Amino acid sequence: MRTLELDVEGWGGHRAGQHLDVRLTSEDGYQAERSYSIASAPGERLAITVELLENGEVSPYLVEDVRDGDVFEVRGPIGGYFVWNDDDPEPVLLVGGGSGVVPLVAMARERARVGGTAPMKLLYSSRNWDDVIYRGELETLGVEVVYTLTRQQPPGWTGYARRIDDDMLRDVAFAVDERPRVYVCGSTHFVDAAADGLVRLGYDPMWIRTERFGATG
Amino acid sequence: MTDARTLDGNAIGGLLLELFGVELTAAPCTCGGCGAREEVARLDVYVDCPGVVVRCRHCNNVMITIVRGPERTRVDLSGTRGLEL
Repeated sequence: MRTLELDVEGWGGHRAGQHLDVRLTSEDGYQAERSYSIASAPGERLAITVELLENGEVSPYLVEDVRDGDVFEVRGPIGGYFVWNDDDPEPVLLVGGGSGVVPLVAMARERARVGGTAPMKLLYSSRNWDDVIYRGELETLGVEVVYTLTRQQPPGWTGYARRIDDDMLRDVAFAVDERPRVYVCGSTHFVDAAADGLVRLGYDPMWIRTERFGATG
Repeated sequence: MTDARTLDGNAIGGLLLELFGVELTAAPCTCGGCGAREEVARLDVYVDCPGVVVRCRHCNNVMITIVRGPERTRVDLSGTRGLEL
């Protein structure tokens, strides 16, 4: 995992939750393109957080090889659906699996940056504690963070230790009558489990915005 | 029908932006099969085909295909009833 700060000529700013595409072109003209969520809040220096995927075509370069001053092609900002507006007063439930937390952190950072008062809660599913991104910072953003560690837990762990299920969502999610906005991001199975579970709790599907991550890096 | 390769319209936001010059993930799109109307971001997308296939999340109808060739890109919208910009 690595966070890269990008300096993009002509970048007009972005909204919390958007992503960008990175395109790499080899000397023989072969191109590989991948999407990365923007981790920084609007108004902060543009940053992406990239998870290294073994055998990936783009992430090994971004995580292991790229150096200060290197240049590559970026397209964006992208997305008008999976975005949160900081003047939105409704409570916000963020549900992230693995690196799917990145665009959600941009939303939490944006809320902190503008002094937003909308209640915001993050349910963050990670394989283990070492894989939790932005540890430390998350506690400082004024957002309630609930972790579940699905594969391995540190000694003395008292939090959730299983995949997201309906009981967990019922414990963590805002009550239905609060009409929260929900953003779910992660692998396809994770996103569908969380979104379907929330609908079973009585959430209106239109409150739930989802973004599925692919497994190619 | 959804499996680990099933992405959603967010995944092709950059491609659509490049092809059409506007942000389309929030644009409502009506299925030509069942008539369901959903934002592009809420459609099922497969990018590991030859090209891109966009399917209705309700009836699985193929709504859009996008095939990039060396000279031109072919966008087939025959499975949709309308795209609102």
